[in-house]
Amino acid sequence: MPKLPERVTLLGIRHHGPGSARMVAAALAAIEPALVLVEGPPEADGLVAHVGGLTPPVALLLHDETDPATAAFWPFAGFSPEWQALRWADEHQVPLRFFDLAAAATLGEEDEPDRVAIDPLGLLAEAAGFDDPERWWEDVVEQHAAADPIGLAQAVAEAMTALREEFADHVGQRTLRREAAMRQALRKGLKEVEGPIMVVCGAWHVPALLELPSATADSALLKGLPKKKISGTWVPWSHGRLANASGYGAGIASPGWYAHLWETADAGDAVPRWFARACAVLREEDLPASTASAVEAVRLADALAAMRGRPSPGLAEVSEATLAVLCGGDDTPLRLVHDKLVVGEELGMVGAGVPRSPLAADLERLQRRLRLPASAIEKQMRLDLRKDMDRQRSKLLRRLRVLDVPWGETDHTNSTGTFAEAWRVRWDPSMAVAVAAAARHGTTVEAAAEQVLRQRAEDADRVAKAGEVLEQSVFCESPTAVAAARRALDRCAAAATDAAELLQALPSLASTVRYGSVRGTDPELLRSALHGLLARGAVGLPLACRNVDDDTADQLVAALDAAQDAAGLAADDDHRAVWRDALLRLVALTDAHGLPAGRATRLLWESGDLDTDSVAARLHRAVSATAGATAFVAGFLRGSAALLAADDRLFALIDNWLTGLSPEAFADALPLLRRAVGEFSSAERRTLGDRVMAGDSRAVAAPTGDWDEDRAERLAAHVRELIGATS
Amino acid sequence: MTESVLRPSAEQQYAAELEALAAVDDRPKPPMWRLSPQAVVRYVLGGELSDGTKITPKYVGDRRIVEVAVATLATDRALLLVGVPGTAKSWLSEHLAAAVSGDSTLVVQGTAGTSEESVRYGWNYARLIAEGPSEAALVPSPVLRAMRTGAIARVEELTRMPSEVQDSLITVLSEKALPVPELNFQVQAVPGFSIIATANDRDRGVNQMSSALARRFNTVVLPPPASEDAEVEIVSSRAAQLGRALQLPAEPPALEEVRRVVRVFRELRGGSTVDGRTQLKKPSGSLSTAEAISVITSGMALAAHFGDGKLGADELASGLLGAVVKDRVSDTAAWQEYLEAVVKERPEWRDLYRACQDHDLAGYA
Repeated sequence: MPKLPERVTLLGIRHHGPGSARMVAAALAAIEPALVLVEGPPEADGLVAHVGGLTPPVALLLHDETDPATAAFWPFAGFSPEWQALRWADEHQVPLRFFDLAAAATLGEEDEPDRVAIDPLGLLAEAAGFDDPERWWEDVVEQHAAADPIGLAQAVAEAMTALREEFADHVGQRTLRREAAMRQALRKGLKEVEGPIMVVCGAWHVPALLELPSATADSALLKGLPKKKISGTWVPWSHGRLANASGYGAGIASPGWYAHLWETADAGDAVPRWFARACAVLREEDLPASTASAVEAVRLADALAAMRGRPSPGLAEVSEATLAVLCGGDDTPLRLVHDKLVVGEELGMVGAGVPRSPLAADLERLQRRLRLPASAIEKQMRLDLRKDMDRQRSKLLRRLRVLDVPWGETDHTNSTGTFAEAWRVRWDPSMAVAVAAAARHGTTVEAAAEQVLRQRAEDADRVAKAGEVLEQSVFCESPTAVAAARRALDRCAAAATDAAELLQALPSLASTVRYGSVRGTDPELLRSALHGLLARGAVGLPLACRNVDDDTADQLVAALDAAQDAAGLAADDDHRAVWRDALLRLVALTDAHGLPAGRATRLLWESGDLDTDSVAARLHRAVSATAGATAFVAGFLRGSAALLAADDRLFALIDNWLTGLSPEAFADALPLLRRAVGEFSSAERRTLGDRVMAGDSRAVAAPTGDWDEDRAERLAAHVRELIGATS
Repeated sequence: MTESVLRPSAEQQYAAELEALAAVDDRPKPPMWRLSPQAVVRYVLGGELSDGTKITPKYVGDRRIVEVAVATLATDRALLLVGVPGTAKSWLSEHLAAAVSGDSTLVVQGTAGTSEESVRYGWNYARLIAEGPSEAALVPSPVLRAMRTGAIARVEELTRMPSEVQDSLITVLSEKALPVPELNFQVQAVPGFSIIATANDRDRGVNQMSSALARRFNTVVLPPPASEDAEVEIVSSRAAQLGRALQLPAEPPALEEVRRVVRVFRELRGGSTVDGRTQLKKPSGSLSTAEAISVITSGMALAAHFGDGKLGADELASGLLGAVVKDRVSDTAAWQEYLEAVVKERPEWRDLYRACQDHDLAGYA
């Protein structure tokens, strides 16, 4: 079999290994190749030209053009050997090609399980008597990387060859194909380029490239692979993402440590500088960390390394020294050091010239304009929608959510619901996929969001869904989408047969109506939608309460409450009247389910449309009726234990009704009451019992209008301060 | 030597192992150390030497912990071993001192009544009055003696001492010197001197260390045994060693008896059964591994002197009861509940259940 020509140098590396990066950098400087081949998808060759404008960590993002959500990343950190090759080729204007299997053949395909069944480094480390393969590689390979890069590369190749021979049957079809593709690319390179060629690939693949058999076998192996149109770009990446296993190569546990090793390699002060940085991290959190302690930590790490026979302290030694000296044996501060230093939060940058989808470019423009940089660290924000900048920000975050880019998360626990919004914002580099996928919807964030919302409005088949789309459209301030959602709502409402469904969509609509004006949507437009729903629901309500089971009745009660609130909040007088009439008709029905009927009675009594006497009469009637009586009382009282204990009017109503019962009627009513009250929690029942025991003596005197002006003003001032009102 | 004392010190009991280690030790030794740091680690963790000598493991647990401890001493820093009671803090400290300086007897025991004299120096008052202040009238503390000879001094239960006595160590640790103002000179520590202190972070009645003192220690936390198997190994090997030392004629304990005791301890300590299905009341005691060892050894003693020489359920029952029930009222309830809910339900534990019930009827319940 023909040997590889002398002018080809094979560098077997460990992905994201700083030692391998040093080896690659030193070998490049020594050999000055005319062509560099790097393990990676050949479709990305066109993107190599942009390396100069990138600040690592960055990642190649490639996706299927017809289905942008099918995507994969190839991340590179500053200490990645591949990145060193990219940088060198860019600086010296030497052609660089990616020579792995085409992404078209791998995107969306499942990895074969046998590919990962053996761990080449693990086996070598075991043979050398190390328990941790990473450490073995670090000690044996990475520490001596720069001194004799070519000799080291040869040693790695030999070791891997021995391993590959032993485990030949463990190599999967996928790996064989990838290596066939690599050989094909190598042949092409040899044909086209005269000078030396440098190959940078995972150490495991080196043995497969040592010899070049006839091209026929390789092209046969590569036949029939799926073909897709692939496009891609560079996206910023983060150390935190690098720590997760994703995309290409294995995830690495300590990118921050590796970056530190890489940065301090020339100065040779990796360990002291590490502890100085650890002290800074601890001090930032107000934890004691003196320079004297840092000195002791360096000494301990050195002593540990010497005891273990290591050339210099590794991550294990510095972590143990940090724990024993700087953290006083306590795990909690150590975890802080781990998160901030060992993993790190560094986010890369992609320069202006790099091609990206118009949508991504628009997003970046907006991020700059709204001074909302993408950051990997979570940040809390409070947006005042009355300010233009904050409103634009909110609009952007909302639109991105519609596009499935969850950059911001609304914080409901902290929200005041009016003109202020609380957000938690954190950019995860993998959101680049969602941005790429959303690019098919439009060229700007606004247009894409509008397109998605209109599509959703068209697809909506239920009132609740249409209502949701309408709400989102208002939040996104997209008039076309609002109109489309409005039409969808009408369409769904007309088709809806269930009054409860119509009524339950009301509350969110009502709050949208109330605050819609802040968002630049005409409130009248929404109000008319609300009125339409309310009118339709009101018509259907009485009918909907007949012949229903208990579960449906439960939903009806919820719908009644929702509609009542919404009508009070946002409807005009005419439609409130329509709603009231519907409730009255429901109450008048003799065969309605007890729960909604009881609830409606209560609502009408509260609004003064039914007087106390007629309510008492209804309660009497409920007791005398057999079926549905419990439900009526339960519906009347549901969820109002606290109110019953506190509201004298309601308490008096129930009290008068009960004491007015004849002994027989009372005995009849007892089980009903028991069950109705049984829905209350035990604490509520106790409060209620206390109230009954106290009798009239606790009856609160009605406010007299006679108060101390000074004290009231002091209290009012305090409240104003709390709510942030100005006057 | 081991014949004549109740509990020989570590360097006496393992003199042969230490000698064998020193014979084959070719690594560089820090000044005044008897062994190289690697050999100390091997002495503590056990193993086999090139000449075939077997070194028994003294500490069963994470190798890294021992390495950090030894490296700390090698950098002449003071070492603080922290952990809940019974995690072998004193045990490890004794063996480290024995291996490093061949002397584990320079001990200050910390109690609420420990005075500054036992940490620094005292006076021979007869001499002081007769001759006036002189070096001959000075009574050195173990710490002072260790400073002069370049040995390891041990401070047991550091946080039980009053804070001001603890703080008298600060000068010793930072200046490596102890001034004696009465005589107008100071004792300067010889290379090899260091301090191993132990402290426990769970007990009541401890005096928090000042941060000035804490800063001068490297802290190593000793965790409770990670798994049931590890704990069984500790208990059975220690009980066998103790049995030898106490000249118990009983056979070494059967592994399943040890396993039973360890399981009872782990379950009560953790508040639930190993399968996680039954929630248990936690007794007030710490139920440490050390106590499990003493349950086994006392059981062995009972078996040897009053039984058939074999450790069985009857012998374990009394020891278990004593170890679990520290507070008559609440712990008795927890123990009874455990017996009824767990021990009784395990068919292979019926003998233990019966034995424990007999004991309860006899005295406690």
